[in-house]
Amino acid sequence: MFNNKANEKALALELYDSFKDADLSYIYHGQFSQTITDLIIMLAETSMDRIGESAKIKKRVFSIMVESLQNITRHQDNTGEYQGFFAIEQKDGYYFVTTVNLIYNENIEHLDGLLKKIQSLPSEELKQYYKTVLIENEISSKGGAGLGLIEIARKSNNKVSYHFHRINDECSYFYFHTCISPINEEDEVNDTELVRIDNIFLLHQLLKKQNVQIIFNGLFNQENLINLLNIIENQMAGMGHLKRVVFNLMVEMLQNIVKHGIKNEARIGNPGIFFINRQNKSHILNTGNYVYNNQIDNLKIKIEHVNSLNHQELNDFYNKCLFNFQVDNSKESGLGLIELRMKCNNQLKYAFQTIDDEKSFFTLQVQVD
Amino acid sequence: MTPFIHNGTEDTPTVKLDTSAPELLIAERSLPEDAYEFYKPIFEWLEDYAKNPNEKTVFRFELEYFNTSSAKQLSKILLFLKSLDKEVEIIWCYQLDDIDMFNSGKRFEKLTGLNFSMVSIPVIDDDDFTIITD
Repeated sequence: MFNNKANEKALALELYDSFKDADLSYIYHGQFSQTITDLIIMLAETSMDRIGESAKIKKRVFSIMVESLQNITRHQDNTGEYQGFFAIEQKDGYYFVTTVNLIYNENIEHLDGLLKKIQSLPSEELKQYYKTVLIENEISSKGGAGLGLIEIARKSNNKVSYHFHRINDECSYFYFHTCISPINEEDEVNDTELVRIDNIFLLHQLLKKQNVQIIFNGLFNQENLINLLNIIENQMAGMGHLKRVVFNLMVEMLQNIVKHGIKNEARIGNPGIFFINRQNKSHILNTGNYVYNNQIDNLKIKIEHVNSLNHQELNDFYNKCLFNFQVDNSKESGLGLIELRMKCNNQLKYAFQTIDDEKSFFTLQVQVD
Repeated sequence: MTPFIHNGTEDTPTVKLDTSAPELLIAERSLPEDAYEFYKPIFEWLEDYAKNPNEKTVFRFELEYFNTSSAKQLSKILLFLKSLDKEVEIIWCYQLDDIDMFNSGKRFEKLTGLNFSMVSIPVIDDDDFTIITD
């Protein structure tokens, strides 16, 4: 599904394709704080409310998210070299939560034993085991006794899988993957396909390599746009001017999807992808969404035009469009692309990939140095 | 005349249009999905105000952020004020380190020819700014 040949321009499409069957994928890769954690949970809440998820599933997803996020914050590497990873995906009513965090090699044996034990227990015994650990077990220095993991296993009806990936003599990455099923426990077949971890392992490798900080793949609307903005603002706190520029670009890029992307008939919002990756000192903002084929020429002309202008010409063009009230309606101000080009001070990169006779996938990439 | 008051949200600005107050005000963040629609009642109020405007109108823009579709509506407001044919003062606030907001003010000043007072306000950032409460 993923390969290492991913070049910059195809990355948006490659990532989008890899999430193709998912209704929602949200990935955060970086330092975790309490605020970031809260915002991630809020984003999931907004998305679940939008699709009218049942209270029962919502409750399970929440408790698994809370436990998982706590695991990451507790065990993250504070030097920032090895960043934590959190992913939530929704596909055909199933939710998949994956975390990656750092672990000392000396603790692997104990954790591996605990997880093997958890996996071997049927749900009744798991409940009993939880109680036993709660009462008897020694608490590790980081405050956990594996209770979080047992809790996650219980809430997911023991659909958990895990993997250790050695980094060096001292540390490894701990991958923990879980699935929340919409099917009642008694009707359930033991479907090991649901808990496969290899895809997420490859995804993590790709995101690390490309230095991707945050990905949102799903339906875009004003609500989750605000949520994503809050997360980025928080992540970039203290970065002053750069934070403002990224915020600015994000608003315009995401509102482009909200306003001009092709709608998903059945749901509220427009399908697409947004992610930010870093290259040396640059932040690269990427969006991908569907457009109608008959819009392509017009869009190309607009982008090529702003790309052809120098600083002064851009400024004049902006002024002209600002006071052009012929273009002034709910959909369009005629300023978005000019603003992107001015704020990032780089050429806008774009591509169209034909999907069918009617539509194409449009990717836009904006680099801030 | 009846004031128009809108309390700001995460994506819409605080708006206070009250002739009994010393200034008309738009503040905080403006990034609604549909700025055209959001600003409609503001223009309705202004058109009413234009029937009997004060001798001097002071309009304070204390925006922390606005998106491009809001920029267009702001330029419309400014042109409308220009058309009043009365004395108008625009107070344009910008956070001390926000060069883009400063430049936006300068741009509007140049393009509308209105009387702008540029006012810098302290930087509000969660990192180094503590809100003092009583």
